[in-house]
Amino acid sequence: MALDRLARAVTVTAICSTPYFRMFNRQLMEETVFTDAVRPSDLPAPPKDAIRIVRACSIAAIDSRDLAGLVANDPVLTAELLRVTNSAYFGFVSQVKSVARAVTVLGNRALRNLVLCIAMRDALRKDAIPGFDIDAYWEDALRRAVSARSLAGLAGLDGDECFTVGLLQDFGLLVLLHLMPEQVEHWGALATATPEQRRELEIELFHTTHDEVGLTLARSWDLPADLAMAMGYHHDGPPEDVEPQAEVLCRVAICADWMAAVYRCSDKRFAIQHARTLLAENFNASGEQTDYLLQQVSESVADAATAMGLRVGEQISFDAVLREANLRLAEENLSYQELNWRLEKALAERDHIAAELRYELELAREVQKSLLPGSDNSMPGIAGLNLSAKAVSGDFYDYFAVSEGRIAFCLADVSGKGMHAALLMAKAASLFRCLGKGVHDPGKLLGMLNREIAETAIRGMFVTMLAGVIDQVSGRVTLANAGHLPAVHMGCAAVIAEYPANGPPLGITADCKYSNETFELLGGCLYLFTDGLLEARVGDHRLEQAGLVRLVKENAHLQIAERARAIAGAVRTADGVVEDDLTLLIIEDTGAYGKR
Amino acid sequence: MTFPIENKQGFSIVSLKGEVDLNNSPEARKVILNCLKKDKHVMVEMSAVDYIDSSGVASLVEGFQYARSNDLDFGLIGVSDAAMNVLRLARLDQVFHIYASLEDCVNRAS
Repeated sequence: MALDRLARAVTVTAICSTPYFRMFNRQLMEETVFTDAVRPSDLPAPPKDAIRIVRACSIAAIDSRDLAGLVANDPVLTAELLRVTNSAYFGFVSQVKSVARAVTVLGNRALRNLVLCIAMRDALRKDAIPGFDIDAYWEDALRRAVSARSLAGLAGLDGDECFTVGLLQDFGLLVLLHLMPEQVEHWGALATATPEQRRELEIELFHTTHDEVGLTLARSWDLPADLAMAMGYHHDGPPEDVEPQAEVLCRVAICADWMAAVYRCSDKRFAIQHARTLLAENFNASGEQTDYLLQQVSESVADAATAMGLRVGEQISFDAVLREANLRLAEENLSYQELNWRLEKALAERDHIAAELRYELELAREVQKSLLPGSDNSMPGIAGLNLSAKAVSGDFYDYFAVSEGRIAFCLADVSGKGMHAALLMAKAASLFRCLGKGVHDPGKLLGMLNREIAETAIRGMFVTMLAGVIDQVSGRVTLANAGHLPAVHMGCAAVIAEYPANGPPLGITADCKYSNETFELLGGCLYLFTDGLLEARVGDHRLEQAGLVRLVKENAHLQIAERARAIAGAVRTADGVVEDDLTLLIIEDTGAYGKR
Repeated sequence: MTFPIENKQGFSIVSLKGEVDLNNSPEARKVILNCLKKDKHVMVEMSAVDYIDSSGVASLVEGFQYARSNDLDFGLIGVSDAAMNVLRLARLDQVFHIYASLEDCVNRAS
């Protein structure tokens, strides 16, 4: 079922990305535009006379006198047409003084284009959008127009055809501002955005885009199909089944949009790079060619404006644009350097904190070591060793003399690892040393420690502990075990006895009792250790108790302190570390050496 | 690793499995305590526990301590041999209520 759903999802995605679906989607979008954002009735009134001329121009067999008659019907259009035709920008050879002559000189297509430009320019009066300087829009449109015209050679199209498309391709934006003049305040952002950013901003402000509205308007006004295509598809690209010329015109419009953006948008470096990429992809233009065409844009806008009767400000040169882009690059490099500097600072700060933490841990380690019997406190007949896997340990051992020939000792393991275990270890070790000096009964002592620890233990933490007293004169040991591994009494070659726990670990419940085991060492040794020793790896297996017995046998000839080191050495890795905290305490029967 | 919870015969049952060690005992602790905050009768099913270390045992101890101070039922059921050896060695079998199964627990309660 899941595979079936996946297959269907893939099919739907594939369909959605086909040109057919894009067309279908476009139709849906048009309906959305009509119903939600812009209705046909909202659109400005079409310039009917001009459109009639445009339509007539497309009739191949039309008589030029009939065409001239149509133009002459509109005196304002006639005057503008003659003025534009005679402008230097369009470069018609001879002076054109009559409409009839204009129609003959221009031909149907050029006449159509000029009429379109003039009619669309005048479709919205200068004061049609309150608070908006419509000249600013037309200046931007003129840049697109001259950009498109400069691409005509590369595209193999007529220059005036391209100019018309460039001039009118974003007309939808003007319509949107006309319909929603309250958004005029965002013109600054729209004017400095890249084409794609502008479209996103339009969706935010108008809930539709200028290309959608442009297409709707072109169809509603019955504008020529190739112009409608360019107005509607200069962002998404043309649909596949479009006429070849309209397809090339769309690509001209896409490139012209970004060429004009080079002069308009705030991120000029990005716009230049994108324009170079687009011209290379669409028309195989080299970087130098694109730069040359971009240079032409700034040089042609003023002439084109004069021809079209539009006002434009002073034009920034392409060299100035390049300087601004490079300055921005330099600024970005500077901010990169600052970022780098900040990163270095953060790393230095991290190293400083790490060093402080290491120092604190070192201090904690020293304090913890001070809780263990040091080499200064060595006593005959007892030797211990503690290796920690981390900076601080959750294991500990201790011993001290309680009276002549009697030594109290303990070995313990706190649940968990790390600082919290080390702190509880410090508490348990201090309590043992403090209370153990007055209470020589191990079972009773464990009971007292348990109550103290249970009162304050948190997060289920507990301490397993072996505590005992050895009378070195008699070799008699009294031992109590709170949840710890058994203490092992061994002779030279074998285990004599084990002393497992006779009560739960310390800190779990306050009402536990611990009984004592009393036995004599009989010339053997008592081994107390934590699970870190038995679980340590030796080769590919864990030591376990059998391994410990073997190590004891192998090192039986050594003094107990050396023996402890030898046992620990056997389970350390090659680089001297241990996987888990490891503690070992050996108590031997010193009395056996001749005193008894 | 997440530890599943199911409700059976009025008990919330948290199932621990695999190795309950430093890596996943914080998750075990969280699940057990959350259960105890919602339900009065909580059992921890441990038949699939291969290994439990002291941090895992501490999670159980905390559950036990929380239940005791809040007058709730808390116990272990079907404890695997590996886990039972650890509990016995530490004499924690004297602390926890341990049942062979949920049925055993229900029968003993009645």
